[in-house]
Amino acid sequence: MRTKKTPLLSRLLGVALSLSLVVTLVTLGGLPKGQAAAKVLYVGVNLPLTGADAEDAELIKDGVVLATEETNAKGGVAGYKIELIVLDDATATAGQYDPVQAATNAKKLVANVGVVAIVGPQMSGSGKAMSPILSEGDLATVTPSSTNPDITDPKFKDKFRPKGKAVYFRTVTTDAFQGPNMTNFFAEKLKVKSVYVLDDSGTYGVGIADSFQKRAGEKAIKVLGRDQLNPKEADYTTVLTKIKGLNPDALYYGGVDQAGAKLAKQAYDVIPKMIKGGGDGMYSANLLKGAGFPAVEGWYATIASPHLLDDPEVQPWVKRFAKRWGKQPGDYSITGYNAALVIFDAISRVVKSGKPVDRHSVRDAIQATKLKTMQGVVSFDANGDLASRVISVFQIKRNPKFPDDDILHQYKYIGVAPQQ
Amino acid sequence: MTLRDILVQQIINGLSLGAMYSLLALGFTMVYGIIELINFAHFNVFMVGSFIAMWVLQSLGLVGQSRVLLGLPLVGALSLALASTMLLSGGIGVLIERTALRPMRNVPGTASMITTIGVSYILFNIILLTVGAASQNYPNPMPRISWDLGGAVLRLREVLLWSVSLVLMGLLQVFVRRTKMGKAMRATAQDQEAARMMGVEVDQIIMLTFFIGSALAGAAGLIFGLYYNFTSFIIGYTAGLRAFTAAVLGGIGNIMGAMLGGVIIGLIESLGGQFLAVRWTDVIIFSILILVLVFRPTGIFGMSAHQKS
Repeated sequence: MRTKKTPLLSRLLGVALSLSLVVTLVTLGGLPKGQAAAKVLYVGVNLPLTGADAEDAELIKDGVVLATEETNAKGGVAGYKIELIVLDDATATAGQYDPVQAATNAKKLVANVGVVAIVGPQMSGSGKAMSPILSEGDLATVTPSSTNPDITDPKFKDKFRPKGKAVYFRTVTTDAFQGPNMTNFFAEKLKVKSVYVLDDSGTYGVGIADSFQKRAGEKAIKVLGRDQLNPKEADYTTVLTKIKGLNPDALYYGGVDQAGAKLAKQAYDVIPKMIKGGGDGMYSANLLKGAGFPAVEGWYATIASPHLLDDPEVQPWVKRFAKRWGKQPGDYSITGYNAALVIFDAISRVVKSGKPVDRHSVRDAIQATKLKTMQGVVSFDANGDLASRVISVFQIKRNPKFPDDDILHQYKYIGVAPQQ
Repeated sequence: MTLRDILVQQIINGLSLGAMYSLLALGFTMVYGIIELINFAHFNVFMVGSFIAMWVLQSLGLVGQSRVLLGLPLVGALSLALASTMLLSGGIGVLIERTALRPMRNVPGTASMITTIGVSYILFNIILLTVGAASQNYPNPMPRISWDLGGAVLRLREVLLWSVSLVLMGLLQVFVRRTKMGKAMRATAQDQEAARMMGVEVDQIIMLTFFIGSALAGAAGLIFGLYYNFTSFIIGYTAGLRAFTAAVLGGIGNIMGAMLGGVIIGLIESLGGQFLAVRWTDVIIFSILILVLVFRPTGIFGMSAHQKS
C-alpha cells in the first residue's frame, strides 16, 4: 500500500553505518582542545532516533542537518565550521525516548568541552532529565518540540536549573498554551460540552492532559473522567468501553504515539463517531503509519508553532528539504532548522563581540536572540520560553494523492487555536 | 449504554484478553510441568510469532485492513497463516531448547532460567534491529462483521479468537490425556528418572513440550495481531508477564489451571478497568500474583505437585 520495504541486509548495513558514524563523531568530539585550532565548533543533537518516535525525530534531525550543511557550505559561522554530535536517547527497553538515556547523553555532551550548545530533546520527559545537568554545566539547549511547561517554569527552578540561568530554550511554545488552547478550540469551534481525558503516563502526556482538563473546567466543559494508559500495554478496549458507556462529546488524549497509535486503532472500533483529539504527540508520521487509515481519520492534533509549510514564502525551503532528503518535512523540521540557526546566530554574535567562543558565552548570546526566521522573529523570555505563542490545529483527512504517512498532506490545517 | 450493556461488553473484552493469556500461559505451565523451568523466552516467542504471521499474511498480498477476503479464501489465508506460524514458532521453541537449554539442564540453581532471559532479549533485539520499533500496521483480511447484543457489540474477530483458542486447548487436552505421547509427557512430568527407565525418550518429550508450548504462543501471536491490528517488538513483555501470572494463579504445571487462570486475569483486567481505572490494572494483577504465591503456592485450583501435567 505504501512505502517499499528496504531489504533486510541494507537495513542492517544502515544501522551499522549510522552506529559507526555516531562513534566517529563522538570520538572526534572527544579530542582535546587543541582541535579548536582547526576552527571547528561542536553542536550536540539529542533525539530519540530509534524507537516508536523515530520517524518524527528523523524529520527534526533532517532540519538540523540541513541548516548545518547550508551554513557550512556558506563558509560556516564567522569562520568556524560546525560539526554535529548526534546522540540517540531512545532505548530498547523503553521502546521510545528514555529519560535515563537522555541524562547519560547530557552528561556526555557536558563532559565534552568542544560542545558549545545542543539541539533537542524531542520529548519533555528527556528534557526534565537533561535540564538540571545542562544547568550545572552551563550548556544551553534549544528544543524544537518539547513542550512541557514545568521545565522552564521559575516555580521549579531548583529542580530544573539549580544554577539559576536559563539553559532550556525553545523554538516552540509550551503546553501551558497547547493544552488550554485546544480546550478553547473544542469549546468554541466544535461545541463540545463533555469530554473524557486520557494520558500516556509520560511527562509530556500527563502535563498536557492536566492543562487541557484545567481549562475545561473554566470553559464549562464537563470532564466525565480521567485515566492513564500504559504505553507498553496492548489493550485499551477496556477503557474505551468505559468511555463509550459514559458517552462524552469528545475524547482528549495527551501523549505520544507508542500508546497513541494503539488508542487510535481501537477507538476506531469502539467509539468511531466521537470527536477525538490530542496534542503535538498526535501530529506524527509514526501515527499515520502505525495506526493507518481509516483508523486515524478525523483525529484532531495541534502543534506548538505556527503552521508554515503551506506558506508561499516557505516553499523554497520545503523544496530544498525535499531535494536533500527525498521526503516532505513536518512543521517541527522547521523548528529544528530554526533551533540550529538560533545557535549559529548566537555563535556569530559571540565572535563579533570578541569574547572567547565557549558554551558560557554562547548561552548568554542565545538568551539575547532576536533572529528573523521562517517562523517569525525568535526571541526568548528570561526562562527560555519562546515569545510567540501560536498553537495550530490540524485534522487528519486522507488525501489519496499522497502517501498515507506524509504528515504534510494527510494533516489538514484547520487554523490557529483560540487563545481565550 | 446501560450498566448491563457495559458489563456484557467488558466481559466480552475480558474473555478475549483471557483467551490470549490462556494460550500463552499454557506454554509456561507445560514447560514448568516437565522440567520445572520458568521459560522467559516464551514472552518473545509470542512476539516473534506475531511477526511471522504478519509476514505470511503480507506474502499473500494482504496489507493493512483494506483488503478484505470472504468465504473460502479467508479461511484458507488464515489457516495457512496459523499453520505456518505455529510450525515456525514451535521450531524456534525447539531451537531454543536444543541450543540454549539442554546444555544447562543439569546445571543446578537458576542458570537455565537466566539463560531464558538472555534468549528472550536476543529475540527482542533481533526484531528491534531488523524491523524497527514503530508499531506495524497488521494485515487483517477479516470483514468487519459484528452483532449487537443490546448495547454491547460482539465482533467476528472475538468469536474467531475464542473458537481458535478453545479448539487449540481442546486438542491439547486430548493430546495430553489420550495419546501415548501425552502419557509419556505426563510420566516425564511426574518422575523423569522413572519415565526414562520405562523407556520414555525424555529428551524428545522435552523437545516436544517446547514445540507445543511455542506453537501455541505463535498462535496467540497471530490472534493478537488480528485482534488489535498491530504488532510491535514490545508486545511480549506485558502480555507475557500477565500470562505468567495466569499460570501461577491456576497452579503452575497445571494445564486446566492455566486456561482458567488466563480467563480470570482477562476478566480482572477488563472489569478492574471499568470499575477502578486502567492505571491500576497492573497493581491489581500483580497483587493477586503475590497473594497467590503467599497463601496458595500451588494455585487457586490447588493441585498438589505430583499431579502437575
